[in-house]
Amino acid sequence: MSHEPMHRVIRLKRYERPPEGYFDDFLRDFHRRQRAELLKPSLRTLLLERLTSILSEFHVPTMAFAGAAAVALIASIAIISHPGQSQSPRAYAASYQQTPVTIPKMQPVSLRVDPQPQRSASLFPPAYMLNARPANHESPLSF
Amino acid sequence: MSTETEIIPNNDLELVTRTQGGDPSAFDQLVVRYSPRLYGLIYHMTSNHEDTNDLLQDVFSKAYRSICSFRGKSSFYTWMHSIAVNMTINFLKKRNRRQHPSLNDPDCNIENDPDFIAATSNGNVDPTKQVTIHELQKKLNAAMMKLSHDHRIVVTMFDIQGMPHAEIAKILKISEGTVRSRLFYAHRQLQNSLHEFKRN
Repeated sequence: MSHEPMHRVIRLKRYERPPEGYFDDFLRDFHRRQRAELLKPSLRTLLLERLTSILSEFHVPTMAFAGAAAVALIASIAIISHPGQSQSPRAYAASYQQTPVTIPKMQPVSLRVDPQPQRSASLFPPAYMLNARPANHESPLSF
Repeated sequence: MSTETEIIPNNDLELVTRTQGGDPSAFDQLVVRYSPRLYGLIYHMTSNHEDTNDLLQDVFSKAYRSICSFRGKSSFYTWMHSIAVNMTINFLKKRNRRQHPSLNDPDCNIENDPDFIAATSNGNVDPTKQVTIHELQKKLNAAMMKLSHDHRIVVTMFDIQGMPHAEIAKILKISEGTVRSRLFYAHRQLQNSLHEFKRN
């Protein structure tokens, strides 16, 4: 089946053209759009601006940011320079020696309430013990 | 079969290199060179001038942003067309059923085109009859819109823009056999759609 007549009919669509002068304006529009894109702030810039405005509401002194940054830098350097001292949780678990846990023999606990608690106290009257050494108020050297 | 615009690939590479080196005026020359051709490609896919204008702007913006990634493995011509085709197909998928064709006035030279005379008459009908021009244009666009995106793009590239099968295959990343097969089915479908018009 030959499609040559169809091909010729479809080719008539090439006469559909944009309005006169369209391509002259196109480049101008392209430049304008590029400039607009440059002016359009990126997501990162927007986030930074939002963060700065939030922090400014707290009236944090400017030097505090520098101080916090310095502390963070020192801390990160310290962590990086001493990697051996800090163990990962897994390594710590592996190095830990397991010792068997011994549970002492438990005494059964009675929850029964003693009806006469004073009675046991009377069987063993309180004993008061004075100082083992007798108090001596005299001077050790008497002349 | 002639193409709408003459493309000089060697000169393209020089302009691309200059753009990559930070010369925006070199890219302007590429825009001037490719915009008529890419306009046609996008317009015959969307059938809407406003959509075509927006898409074409986006296509050149994307090309400008990613021109540093162009390594010259394919020609700049193929690379630009690939960007345009991908962006247009993505746009059409999003637009889905929302179709607002805005047909532009055809160039007045269509009246003298022998194919137009043959298509609209048996040889004795006044070809300056604008109603017939618009009717044919409407029928053609309606028939094109009935095609799937895959079929429409090959018809646009081959029948309207006069691109060879090999070039279409490279741009669409399909085999030449697939291009021919899609063209065959697209032509058959278009023939059925336009059969009534041809008879009248």
